[in-house]
Amino acid sequence: MNAVEIRNLSKSFGKKQAVNGLDMTVPMGAIYGFIGENGSGKSTTEKMICGLIPCSGGSIKLYGKDHTDPSVRARVGVLIESPGCFPSLTVFDNMMLQAENLGIKNAEKEVIKILKTVRMEGAAGNKYKNCSLGMKQRVGIAMALLGNPTLLVLDEPLNGLDADGMRIMREVFTDIVKDGKRSIVVSSHLLGELQKVATHYEIIRHGKMIREMTASELDGDCRTYIALKADDMGKAKYILGGKLSRVSEDEAGYIRVYDPVTPEETAAYLYKNGVTVTEIMTDKIGLEEYYIDLMKGGK
Amino acid sequence: MNDALKFPKHSFGQRVKTMMKVDVRRMLKSKVFYILLAVALIIPIVMTVMMTMMAGKESTDPQTGEVTVMEGPESVWESIGTLPTDEAAEKPTDGEAQMGDMDVMAMCNINMAFMGVCVFVCLFISDDFRSGYAKNLFTVRAKKGDYVVSKTVCGFICGSLMLIFYFIGALLGGAISGLSFGLGTLNIGNIIMCMLSKIFLMLVFVSIFTLISVSAKQKAWLSICGSLGGGMLLFTMVGMITPLNSTVINVILTLVGGLLFAVGLGVISKTVLKKSSLV
Repeated sequence: MNAVEIRNLSKSFGKKQAVNGLDMTVPMGAIYGFIGENGSGKSTTEKMICGLIPCSGGSIKLYGKDHTDPSVRARVGVLIESPGCFPSLTVFDNMMLQAENLGIKNAEKEVIKILKTVRMEGAAGNKYKNCSLGMKQRVGIAMALLGNPTLLVLDEPLNGLDADGMRIMREVFTDIVKDGKRSIVVSSHLLGELQKVATHYEIIRHGKMIREMTASELDGDCRTYIALKADDMGKAKYILGGKLSRVSEDEAGYIRVYDPVTPEETAAYLYKNGVTVTEIMTDKIGLEEYYIDLMKGGK
Repeated sequence: MNDALKFPKHSFGQRVKTMMKVDVRRMLKSKVFYILLAVALIIPIVMTVMMTMMAGKESTDPQTGEVTVMEGPESVWESIGTLPTDEAAEKPTDGEAQMGDMDVMAMCNINMAFMGVCVFVCLFISDDFRSGYAKNLFTVRAKKGDYVVSKTVCGFICGSLMLIFYFIGALLGGAISGLSFGLGTLNIGNIIMCMLSKIFLMLVFVSIFTLISVSAKQKAWLSICGSLGGGMLLFTMVGMITPLNSTVINVILTLVGGLLFAVGLGVISKTVLKKSSLV
């Protein structure tokens, strides 16, 4: 049984087709990175999973049940776009409202526990409207975590979080799925952060799935490259560019060689042409570059 | 962690109970709720005292020289409701004026609570959508009917409290102004029936306001304007349906009408929520 199983899902707003025959399979225990450019249909899909907007076609199953089944929906935690808190109420009161909504016993105890998890216990008495962007995001995640959800659907949960906040979230996500039954669907544009935790990915464009893969499949697909620095960078780039087809310079000032050559061959060739390599290493492209390549139609 | 794959089912009663708990908690933390109750209490006191103070004063029209004597309330119960007079029916030529008088009386009394409650219902519901709370709510609560029931009941509680507060305010205002508490041809039973009829009739108004609010979602201005417009259509009938000399028939009529409206409009509200985007 899969946590989420979407088949041929579609959604149109008037003439605009936001989601067009989308498939998605989220296994139990997965942290499922849902990636796509702005307006690609990620949030619309997530809203349909949560029953917030009706589907135009297709089916969504959560743990083998239809996504409209109240029993399964009661076990879904959600953070979509904004945390959904009342500005004039305190963080604690907002959390209590959701806890009561979920019918949690010992609600106060549970709320305090979750606030501690996201390091927000000190701000429990603050009015929500007075919280900073990062704090609001933490409250949103805390709201989603209430009631020990079986499935978490998070839209851009890492936005506005500081480094510590992101680390905490990574720990929380890993902790949630460790029993192998709970799952998280998370969309984010912070692909570097997502890559640190995700076990599965789906990349969508114009409401259609482009690629669905596991983290190990992504690893296999990510091409290796040689990064080097030389005593004369301009000359090195010129020489390599004359012989090899895929040479570029990255933001850190390294020359990258994507052609299938070894570091030894590359260094020797440059040395033969009067350039000394001062630093050389091999690495793999990350999710971000893979995604950009895929969007450009590359491999 | 062992309960990860448990999906317990809850009965309608359990679901509505927990949702009501949340909504009542929210209502009790809402400033609008207390402001409306305060207004419902203060308005009859201020109006009764002012009108009593101005009673008997003469004003002269500078153009025609016509002298008008200001009339004040004669009884405390005038703030609660109007009494249809036989004379209005007997005198067709004066009938228009009589009806006009009755309309003004009917509008500037306790019946204002019927329109006042629309502010509460519209803001209460639009806040859910404006803050994004509706997303959290409808994700974990798939049954839209629970939401409609809970909001209607909360609106009904607020409306009923406004009526009761207005009633108390009218009594206090009357006592301060030294107005008569005499019932005349009426009896205390009529007053109780009148109040009960008004309370049950509140269900009709709240159901209309709930339907308009769930349709307008986060647009509070639209729901308030729509509710005022929609409510106004029925507003003029409140005085006739719930006069001061109400009997059990009025109570039964308003109770049945209230329930029918609540169920009928509740089903439509539920369908609107089901078929439309909730974010």
